[in-house]
Amino acid sequence: MIAAMFTSYPRTLTVVAALLALLTLAYGGAMDAVYPSLLGVFEWLETTWFGVIGKTWGAAFAFVEAVHLLGLALLGGCVLAGDGRLLGVVLTDVPVQTVVERTHRVFVFGLSISLATGIFMACGVATKIYYLPVYWFKMLALSAGMLFHFQIRRPLLSHDIQSLNPVVVKMVAVASMLVWFMVAATGRWIGFSG
Amino acid sequence: MNELIYNLAIWLDDTEWSRMLHESYYMYNWVESTHVLTLMVSLGILFLIDLRMLGLALPDIPASRIAERLSVPMLVGFAVMFSTGILLFYAVPVRTSQSLWFRIKMVLLVACAVNAFLFHKRMNESITTWDIEPRAPGRLRLGAMLSLAFWSIVVVCGRFIAYDWFDCDTSPNTLIDIVSGCIDGQTRF
Repeated sequence: MIAAMFTSYPRTLTVVAALLALLTLAYGGAMDAVYPSLLGVFEWLETTWFGVIGKTWGAAFAFVEAVHLLGLALLGGCVLAGDGRLLGVVLTDVPVQTVVERTHRVFVFGLSISLATGIFMACGVATKIYYLPVYWFKMLALSAGMLFHFQIRRPLLSHDIQSLNPVVVKMVAVASMLVWFMVAATGRWIGFSG
Repeated sequence: MNELIYNLAIWLDDTEWSRMLHESYYMYNWVESTHVLTLMVSLGILFLIDLRMLGLALPDIPASRIAERLSVPMLVGFAVMFSTGILLFYAVPVRTSQSLWFRIKMVLLVACAVNAFLFHKRMNESITTWDIEPRAPGRLRLGAMLSLAFWSIVVVCGRFIAYDWFDCDTSPNTLIDIVSGCIDGQTRF
């Protein structure tokens, strides 16, 4: 049965294994060994151009923060429209494949903005976020979100969605909304920490 | 006018709930987080609608369907965002009402509302002639671009409110003080 599962869902199982490995690394004690060596990387980030601009020019940092929010808004709008359609609550008179495919392109654009601005912001406060547990939660959530979106959701929905089990489709939509909400919420909480 | 706004802010600041909300670490942060996270619902969907009008997103889905079907979740998001925004103002009324960024944000919110009204009026008048076209007519595209620009600046101003660059007690610039409506600086926060 296990062999049959692996041949049916190799990509999903690989992603789940990768996420479990990440969690094990974070909470299984291995992180304690790796964590001190990462401090040098975060100190170096603050010396890069992004780090210097972010640290010394507060207006630039604040502006990039706002653009980060706009990227997140775009990403969130696509998640709600796409996953809302999968759940059958919005755009129900538009073919599901069309909504999922078209929102994906905008989603990638929003994610790119959020990632680029997020890297800039991280460089500006690198030695602060290094010590914040919530920053590492966010990185875990972001890794989970990207792995889930590109390695599970997208390959699965590239098939004929009508031929998929409706329960699986709805579970994918709920999981997608939850994981991106987690990314946004942990990101917001970074601002309240430290 | 500034006196009126200032007196209203003082009155709000003197209420017990304003102080409780301001001093409650978790409650204030929950309200602020909800305000920011509902951007994902309201502005995200609004941006999708605007990008559809510009032909940059969902071009093969009729514009009227995008606008009508997504307006309900968008309005729910806006309702939560406005409610939490009012609570955030209520928690820190004196400083916020004398903030340059807050004042620009309020003017732009009015501009957004007028633009949205005109946009919907024009769209409903002409939708049958271009509904399945990938791009809306020129005037509607202008409305969509203004919507994107106004809301983006609203978000930037909202973010800038948290910073004290032009607070009444830090800015010696007279013009900024006038626009900010500075009366007593930051004697009350």
